[in-house]
Amino acid sequence: MMTRLSKGKWGIAIAALPFAALLPASTSLAETSVLAPANTALPAPPANGEMGFIVTHFAPAIYQGEQDCPDGAAASLRETYLQTVPASERIRLLDKANEQELTTRWQGYAVGPNGINICTHPDQFSRPPQRTVKGGVAQGLNLDGDEGAGDGTETCGHDNFTSPEGAAGVDNQMWRAMGCMRSWRGVDGLGGDIVHGLTQFMISGEHTQVLLLRGVDSLVNDPEVEVVYANSEDRAIIDPKQNFIPGASYTVVDNPRHRNVLRGRIVNGVLTTTRTDIRLRQTWGQGSERDIRGQRTEWDLRRGMLSLAFQPDGSLKGLAGGYQPIWNVIASASIGGVGAATVAGYDCAAMYATLKQMADGDRDPKTRQCTTISSGLAMTAIPAFINDTVPGTQVASQ
Amino acid sequence: MTVFVPKRPRLARVVGAVAVILGLASCAVDKAPQTATAEASFSLLGEPLGEIVALRRLTEDQYRNSIADIFGPDIKVAGRFEPIVRPAHELISTGAAASTISPAGLEQFDSMGRNIAAQVMSEPNRLQFMSCVPRDAAAPDPACAAKMLVPIGRYLFRRPLTEGEVASYVKMAGDAVANNGSFHGGLELALGAMLVSPQFLYVIESAEPDPDHAGGLRLDSYSRASRLSFLLWNTTPNEALLQAAASKRLMDDAGLAEMAQRMVQSSRLEDGVRAFFADMLLFEKFAEMAKDQIVYPRFNPDVAAALPEQMLRMIVDHLVTQKGDYRDLFTSRRTFINRALGPLYQVKVSASQGWVPYEFAPGDERSGLLGQAGFLALYSHSGRSSPTLRGRAIRELLLCQPVPNPPGNVNFTAVQDVNSKLMPTARMRLDAHNSDPVCAACHKITDPLGLPLEKFDGIGASRPNENGALINTYGMFEGADFLGNVGLGKAMASSPSTTECVAGRAFQYATGRAPDEEGSTTTAIEQNFATQGYRIQALFLRVATMPEAYRIAPTPPKESVVAMAARNSSTMGLYP
Repeated sequence: MMTRLSKGKWGIAIAALPFAALLPASTSLAETSVLAPANTALPAPPANGEMGFIVTHFAPAIYQGEQDCPDGAAASLRETYLQTVPASERIRLLDKANEQELTTRWQGYAVGPNGINICTHPDQFSRPPQRTVKGGVAQGLNLDGDEGAGDGTETCGHDNFTSPEGAAGVDNQMWRAMGCMRSWRGVDGLGGDIVHGLTQFMISGEHTQVLLLRGVDSLVNDPEVEVVYANSEDRAIIDPKQNFIPGASYTVVDNPRHRNVLRGRIVNGVLTTTRTDIRLRQTWGQGSERDIRGQRTEWDLRRGMLSLAFQPDGSLKGLAGGYQPIWNVIASASIGGVGAATVAGYDCAAMYATLKQMADGDRDPKTRQCTTISSGLAMTAIPAFINDTVPGTQVASQ
Repeated sequence: MTVFVPKRPRLARVVGAVAVILGLASCAVDKAPQTATAEASFSLLGEPLGEIVALRRLTEDQYRNSIADIFGPDIKVAGRFEPIVRPAHELISTGAAASTISPAGLEQFDSMGRNIAAQVMSEPNRLQFMSCVPRDAAAPDPACAAKMLVPIGRYLFRRPLTEGEVASYVKMAGDAVANNGSFHGGLELALGAMLVSPQFLYVIESAEPDPDHAGGLRLDSYSRASRLSFLLWNTTPNEALLQAAASKRLMDDAGLAEMAQRMVQSSRLEDGVRAFFADMLLFEKFAEMAKDQIVYPRFNPDVAAALPEQMLRMIVDHLVTQKGDYRDLFTSRRTFINRALGPLYQVKVSASQGWVPYEFAPGDERSGLLGQAGFLALYSHSGRSSPTLRGRAIRELLLCQPVPNPPGNVNFTAVQDVNSKLMPTARMRLDAHNSDPVCAACHKITDPLGLPLEKFDGIGASRPNENGALINTYGMFEGADFLGNVGLGKAMASSPSTTECVAGRAFQYATGRAPDEEGSTTTAIEQNFATQGYRIQALFLRVATMPEAYRIAPTPPKESVVAMAARNSSTMGLYP
């Protein structure tokens, strides 16, 4: 059942550290568990109880289980198209001499009636779902508080993952739907293009997230902490190698919609927030030469939560989770339009069909179809100075 | 052969030399075309220049400020400026008095001048500079050309044009019409020529006989206007100054003092103070400062750009805005900060854009000018701090006490081994290095002033230890012991050498004369500085108005007179 966690269940949902995603699947993750932080190494919090952070990584949490994709990676649009033609024709098209013809034909497969394309309007194409993750281990959080199928009036039944550390009840249907795509899964312990791309947006200033903790009395155990999780308009302060520089200053956005105030607690060095709808804004391109659209979208993490472990070096590492509208999961490809299909080779219709099939949250009472999908996102943050003015105060002062 | 020669031949010879050096023979006033027939009124034209006694090349900032003041801030100055060489232990303003322009440098000035002229004469802009409409836009119109060139030339040359100059530039504009078929194109060419003229690129100081000192000279009225303007505002004389010069009001002490007083009270004094301290503290070195990215990943171009600006903002705020005591500049906890510098200082910066005031907590090791990251970074090596460079900078720049260069065969092995486990701190490494008495002689001068700053690394960031070892910040200056930057700042603030140095530098900056040439004068300035509570306004007012600064004494006879390219200003009759 998708019910709010009781206080007694705090921390049970914690699954794994995000940097586990950067390790080969064969690497032991036991020592990286957020459930066993080096508490003794954690410093005392500042006297005023305020701690600021700039988020340096925010992308789908990757776990490369060896048995995840037994039939291979999810097909590209080119591969999908080839499956639609008879075997003999397929063989002919795959002849190098016919490469140009094949390219023309599979790229044409990205376009539908009236010029619509498969990534801008994936719901207008009837295409089969793509290959999904078959393994039982993934990163993520227990978002519905249920270790079972989770089929209920508001949720749709699904198989839970087990975290790399063995915690049951991990809800991450987004990974199940997308985790066999090359651009998500990556290779050899490194996430795919989706991870690198989202990280680059944070470096470039197109997507700046900050955290401000208030009322922190201890980094080991504190029953009540306020967490301001918000966007900033400020560009990241980075070094020449594009690493975030600690101790930089950022200002929380004025728009209260993107200033999420969460309640949390710290248990054994891990900060976990109660489930609250979280909205964050992202700009895709800035209108410069690297612009793709300059469009703005939202990260809409419904009943979202954070689980972040304090590290001895002052950083935070952990996971964010929540139920995303399925369109949001493919926002990048959708904004990319026909280029995402014909250049990146995304079969957006297959992606959409799979996400729709795997959706497990916010059941539409009329259609009985779930409209959101549980998602696990890896997250890291380093110390920063955060300027925050409560929006109400700003209005009052004016 | 005597230095003093009849005015016109001397003038012609000097300007001729300038023209030869710059390759600008066509601009020389003694080559004014005979066919120019400008019809404009020449009422603004003054008498020919007096005895030329000094030429100081405009600095980059002075050039930019002049263009902005004359033509407006919308006119862009695009190009690279050939640097003015700084004489050892002196100011750039001193070097400017002996600065030539290479052919490559002149090409740059020419390119910039043409570009500026094109912007000024572009259709939307030229209306504000033209008081007439040509009879035919495709034909020469000397009268209309003169109406534009005469007032602009007065601003550019900081004095009225001579008749010959007007005729020359008007003819140049007219001749160009034959080639490009455009009256405005001709004006553009003439304006470009003015902008590359030595009369614009150099502040030419001319003198007239001094009635109070037989045989001596004194700066003439227009030279005084330029002196005041560039000293106090770092820009070209404005209309009020030029009118004061025309009326000879600047030739009497009261008139000069009245004008200087008004200028010192203006907010534009900030520009003059910024330029002075940028010169005094060798800010041109910031342009070549490089830091090892492996050692200092926090150092990036934004930080590099912010460091000198932070220092200047701190200086100007304390000295001009707050009207503070110069000595307190070394102990003040007030500075300015921006987002780029926040991580380096590890402080919260409230504003997303621009600078905000910031005050360090009492007892913070950051206080004073020497605690600014810009100073600490500039006088460090690319990958490590340097007590010796810092100490030497303090001695030479802030105390005016030159330190000898090291001999060429020094063994730096010990001081460069920054990862030494046996000698983890710079003090230990320098102690080992100084076991050589030849080295120790100079390090005794520099290191006691630099070692107290060792709690700041090579980019000026705080560090609690070095290689895990505690840092000893003991220092000594003029017999007094102290600890750290705070102690050093207090020692600097209480030393008479500190105020004597800046007083001498101010006179040198104003006149281009080295302070050791003016012993009694600088002493008098320093005494006045003390009487006025060591306020920078008082110091600038003093050097701007003291009669000695405008007095040119006779020069002993020499074999020849070197006009433009003379390195030693004594050949130009500058000494009192």
